[in-house]
Amino acid sequence: MSLFQVHIPILDEIKAKGLKKALRDKADDVVTRVTAGLSIADVRSVLRDDPPGRPNPRLKPHAEGFWLHMKPTYYHRLVDGLYPTFRLGWLSTFFFAFEIITGVYLMIYYTPSPLVAYENMLDILSNVPFGRLMRDMHRLGAELMVIVVALHMLRTYVTGSYKKPRQFTWATGVILLGATLFLSFSGYLLPWDQLSLWAVTIGASMAEAAPPEVVGKTLNLLLRGGPEIGANGLLRFYLLHVVALPLAGIVALGVHYYKVVLHGHSLPPGVEKTGEDTARRVPMDRRVYFMPTILTRELWYVSALTALLVIVSAFWFHAPLEPHADPQVTPLHTTAPWYFLWLQGMLKLGDKVIWGVIVPTALGGLLLFVPYLEVGPSRRYGDRRVGLSVGALAVGGLAILSYMGSPWYAVTTSPDQEAVARLLPQTRPGPLRLAPWEELNYGSYEARAWQQAPTPTLSRLLRIFDEELARVEGPDRLDAEGVMVIEDWQAGLKKVTLRVLWTKPGDLAVVREGGEPVTGERDLAVQFFSDADCTSAVGPQVALAGVGIQKGLFSVSLDLSAEGIPQEQARWVSVAVGEAALGCAPVPAEEAGTALLQNGTRSEFSQTTYLHRSSNYGQGE
Amino acid sequence: MTEAVADAPAEALASPPLSRREFLYYLWGGSMAVFLAGSGGVTLWFALPRFREGEFGGVFHLSVEEVPPPDSSPREFAAGRFWLINIGGRTMEDPRQPKDYPLQPGIRALFKVCTHLGCLYKWVPTNDRFECPCHGSKFLKAGARIDGPARRNLDTFMVEAVDAEGRVLARTEPSMDSQEGSPLDLPPGAVTLRVDTGRRILGAPNSKPGGGR
Repeated sequence: MSLFQVHIPILDEIKAKGLKKALRDKADDVVTRVTAGLSIADVRSVLRDDPPGRPNPRLKPHAEGFWLHMKPTYYHRLVDGLYPTFRLGWLSTFFFAFEIITGVYLMIYYTPSPLVAYENMLDILSNVPFGRLMRDMHRLGAELMVIVVALHMLRTYVTGSYKKPRQFTWATGVILLGATLFLSFSGYLLPWDQLSLWAVTIGASMAEAAPPEVVGKTLNLLLRGGPEIGANGLLRFYLLHVVALPLAGIVALGVHYYKVVLHGHSLPPGVEKTGEDTARRVPMDRRVYFMPTILTRELWYVSALTALLVIVSAFWFHAPLEPHADPQVTPLHTTAPWYFLWLQGMLKLGDKVIWGVIVPTALGGLLLFVPYLEVGPSRRYGDRRVGLSVGALAVGGLAILSYMGSPWYAVTTSPDQEAVARLLPQTRPGPLRLAPWEELNYGSYEARAWQQAPTPTLSRLLRIFDEELARVEGPDRLDAEGVMVIEDWQAGLKKVTLRVLWTKPGDLAVVREGGEPVTGERDLAVQFFSDADCTSAVGPQVALAGVGIQKGLFSVSLDLSAEGIPQEQARWVSVAVGEAALGCAPVPAEEAGTALLQNGTRSEFSQTTYLHRSSNYGQGE
Repeated sequence: MTEAVADAPAEALASPPLSRREFLYYLWGGSMAVFLAGSGGVTLWFALPRFREGEFGGVFHLSVEEVPPPDSSPREFAAGRFWLINIGGRTMEDPRQPKDYPLQPGIRALFKVCTHLGCLYKWVPTNDRFECPCHGSKFLKAGARIDGPARRNLDTFMVEAVDAEGRVLARTEPSMDSQEGSPLDLPPGAVTLRVDTGRRILGAPNSKPGGGR
């Protein structure tokens, strides 16, 4: 019979203790197991912030549980405030977790293929419920993580917390900084927009510059997955972004965290004797226990920060998306992500092997070995004048280099193109594409007459255009004019053409009267000379009556032999309009005895775009 | 061994002799290191992309009518990733041309990619030069670098002039003084140009401010 007897321990307990007590004991048992050491009474005492008993049961989860063994059981009161940590290390960890979670969500709708990646982005932005929010949060978190990690490193440097015995902790931190930067950078390629393609092309070309040549070539091929970035390259960057770099980050983070707990949080520089490290010897009365003080506070931080990120992404921060990647066009004003602008600035300085490979590698190495270079035992600010000055110089240098990396340094193109790019930039939607569609009335508008524009939007756009035209004006570009033409192209589609016109003066000065270019019919007197000073005349003076002049420009073709002018000697020419002589210039293009006299040419630069009624640019930036 | 240590505790501080077991462990460790190095090499080999050398470098056939007239703006051939330029008298007299790279008249096919870091430079007519939007390298129409971080002139492709019967009348020849290919002087009778994008001729070194060797 006993063969069929089922032994249920709880029944025995109920038999022995009665139902109520047995169940209560069981519940207590379960809670103790889940919390790795805290009974229900202990948990309640934590929540009520009662003083802990002796021995302190709240230390048990740190010793026995996996999650809390990574957290110190108590902190020194001096590192519990905002200073000296500013919670930056904690924030870095928070953002790392935040990025993993939002990233995994995005992976559900993303395929790393040039054929569909951009389409996936549009789908995430417009079709997937909360897709846009998720992308914005992922991007916002990434940017903030870079800031927070960099500030964390700066703070550690300033307080000298990387000094003995924490040198190795600092080294793992440098690796984490690298992982953060490259995680962020590798994520840039994934949307497969213009920014992606060209930022990564530059990055891979820098790798290619690594000496010796065989190493550079191999590195480049490994990164790009072929001679050009294409399907293989995108897949490789995707794998780096979602597997290799996060894995490296997690490993480095584990070591980093372990070392932090092992050595304790370094105290503020002034409170210890020079060369001493008392972080591990915290007097009883100065301890702040993880449970409950720090634990509840961190839970509060997580919820508040997450709420903040959700709200900011929902209302204000929107991750930009540039036009689809085009391997045939590098957009004007292409820049590296802001945290690599310093590198772009350095690359403008000269040789790519020096500035793109050797110097960045040396700087990385320097950063890694800082604790072994600045070996002075004191962490006090007053004793570290050299170290802190070097740090300040480095920050200043980075700021200057970052400015040099921006489009405003050494890459500005001709002012006519810059003027159009101000309204119609190639790297972001810009004012024209973001303008309300309905307010772009059909017609042709002069930038100068922005005040007469029919709608406020047009007036605003034309005013920007007019401001830029002032920059076009110069000795080589006279009478700059800007025209915006808006046409009804198709149902729901407007064609917008931006034209910049200017006069390029020829060798004969432009005809002006009272500051204004001459327009209308005038009489010209032409005289040819054989010398550059226009003193020895050749042949008779030619009078041309009623030459049409448009905005100071004229163009006359003269048959030299018909006018009785010896062709070989007529090397220079002077022209007079009425009383005003236009100077002496070499005889321009000659063809079979004909001289073409021009005092300038009207030049033009124009760009066209098409705006669709339902394009969601308006919400895109 | 243990007995020997027990007998002479003073000597325990000195390092004990290499035992067979310890030696074999070192041997094993060494072989693991060799194995890992080999695996690393194989991983690199595995990850190296496979493609045909010069995959994009096809041969492009153009009619001579497509060649821009001398001294006119360069003409873009997007499919072949090159600009066709025609050096004439005015281009040769350009005062910005660095003296280290004397010009000859003729046709050149310039590879569209900047010699700095792989962006595509573009023709800016107002400034009468090529400009790279990424780091601001500037090149003259004939391909000489005059400004910016690029460290060599623009790369060119081999161009051949072919007549109606398919005979090659002239081709880009290496010119020893500048290391660059000579411009192709279009011979009479030529009907087709062949641009071989698989045969890229690297631009000559050029690193001085304003251009120069």
